[in-house]
Amino acid sequence: MKIVVCVKQVPATNEAKIDPETKRILREDIKAILNPFDHYAIEEAIRLRNKHGGEVTVLSMGPDKAVRVLREAISMGADHAVLLNDKAFGGSDTWATSYALAKAIKKIGEVDLVLCGKQAIDGDTAQVGPGIAAHLDWIQATYVMEISVLNAHQLKVKRMNEMGYDICLLETPAVVSVVKGINVPRVPTLKGRIASDRYEIPIWRPADLGADIEHLGLNGSPTRVVKTQPPAPRDTETKLIEGTPQSCAQSLIKELRLRNLL
Amino acid sequence: MLHHIENKIYHVEILPPKQDTEKLSADLALFADKYNKALEIGSCICLTDNAMGNLAFQGTEVIEELNLPVHSEQIMIHLNTFHTLEDLRTILDTCKKIGIKYLLIISGDGSDRLPKLQSTDLNLSNAVTVTSVELLHYIHHEYPNDFILGVAFNPYEPPEHEFHKLERKLKAGASFIVTQPVIEKNEIVGQMLKLYPSVPVIIEAWMSKKLHLLSEAVGYEIPETTEFDPVETLKTLHKIYPNCGVYLSLLSFKTQFDLLNETWI
Repeated sequence: MKIVVCVKQVPATNEAKIDPETKRILREDIKAILNPFDHYAIEEAIRLRNKHGGEVTVLSMGPDKAVRVLREAISMGADHAVLLNDKAFGGSDTWATSYALAKAIKKIGEVDLVLCGKQAIDGDTAQVGPGIAAHLDWIQATYVMEISVLNAHQLKVKRMNEMGYDICLLETPAVVSVVKGINVPRVPTLKGRIASDRYEIPIWRPADLGADIEHLGLNGSPTRVVKTQPPAPRDTETKLIEGTPQSCAQSLIKELRLRNLL
Repeated sequence: MLHHIENKIYHVEILPPKQDTEKLSADLALFADKYNKALEIGSCICLTDNAMGNLAFQGTEVIEELNLPVHSEQIMIHLNTFHTLEDLRTILDTCKKIGIKYLLIISGDGSDRLPKLQSTDLNLSNAVTVTSVELLHYIHHEYPNDFILGVAFNPYEPPEHEFHKLERKLKAGASFIVTQPVIEKNEIVGQMLKLYPSVPVIIEAWMSKKLHLLSEAVGYEIPETTEFDPVETLKTLHKIYPNCGVYLSLLSFKTQFDLLNETWI
């Protein structure tokens, strides 16, 4: 099974600042990390490969320093990594990003499964996975909490919905976004880290992908950010419960029940 | 462990390199340098396990990768509950293979990125969460006679609760105790020593000048401006607790290490 995992480098904090002019995140001076949800996608890909054979390629689009998250994926056990890096990619919204990633997936070739984390913690859109599926015209499943390989061309997935979950059969090739809880992502070993430091990550430019430059960057991005503002602070109240441990516990249960939390 | 106290062997804490380091080679070289220095003067090297929830490489894998010598009486590793069962077994099997016998079993500090042992992993029917007590039980049962297990004692927690926990830890197989950092005579530590006169106790000495970093551990605010002389405090601790071992946390290898030979005499 040939699996591609799409990952993103994101700011380590949810308190990242926004440029008031461009409405884009000011990424300088903020520690960058692998998008936390992508750990689950990488882990799932490695598990599927270990069980059914094949290879895992990790793919990202971003600045030079995004190689760090690709190296982290290699240190977890991915086989290959590719970075899409060029000024022409800068300013891409989710549609232009998914176009570029889809082009790269086509270039990799003969891919059976594309895995993504359910969303990135910076934009929180959850659109890139479905966007890739749209550009490739492949079947997709989002919010997936379990993947089983039925045969070489068919997957069974369990996906969360508002009421519970759906069981879906997917013909490959397919795009699947996974949720936290689908697995427990492994922590890289020292051997894995040393191997990842030695791995040479290929950099692909738009021309390598055969991508139409008009579909990339700001030109290829239909999204317009009109206004951004921080959410209003929560109006919270702290209530101190005093008494014996037993009476405190009883009072706490009562309060939680009154708020329909129990 | 008694042998460490009788022979005035310091426990020297060394932190393995962090996972997110950008200078891995340099960090590994520094680790090896500290390890070899501590080994050479006869100290017991204590390797942390993702201290403060920060992802770091395991001491066992660093030792193997760097091919460092292991002297069983001179090494102790911390082991906490933030592992998968597979990783836990790998660590324990490696310890057994390379000759590490002292383990300090702690609940540990987690983080979003660290897995947590589940009660089902350890086949526990009577526990919901895995704490150091359950981990002790497991190691004691699965690796009988392979390890000498120690536990932490926190004199800043409510005493009744902490003594109850300590009793459970000792019943679960612990045979030595390491305290949280102590900077002066501590009444609760005194009570613990009286209660368990035959259990070897290692007092943790805070070797950083930044005493305010201990605020969270001790449960009250220590001002940043507080002046603190770690080496003088260490000498005082030896006088107050002459029958205890000493664990040196945050020891400076540049400024304090060379003083160790003349401190515990």
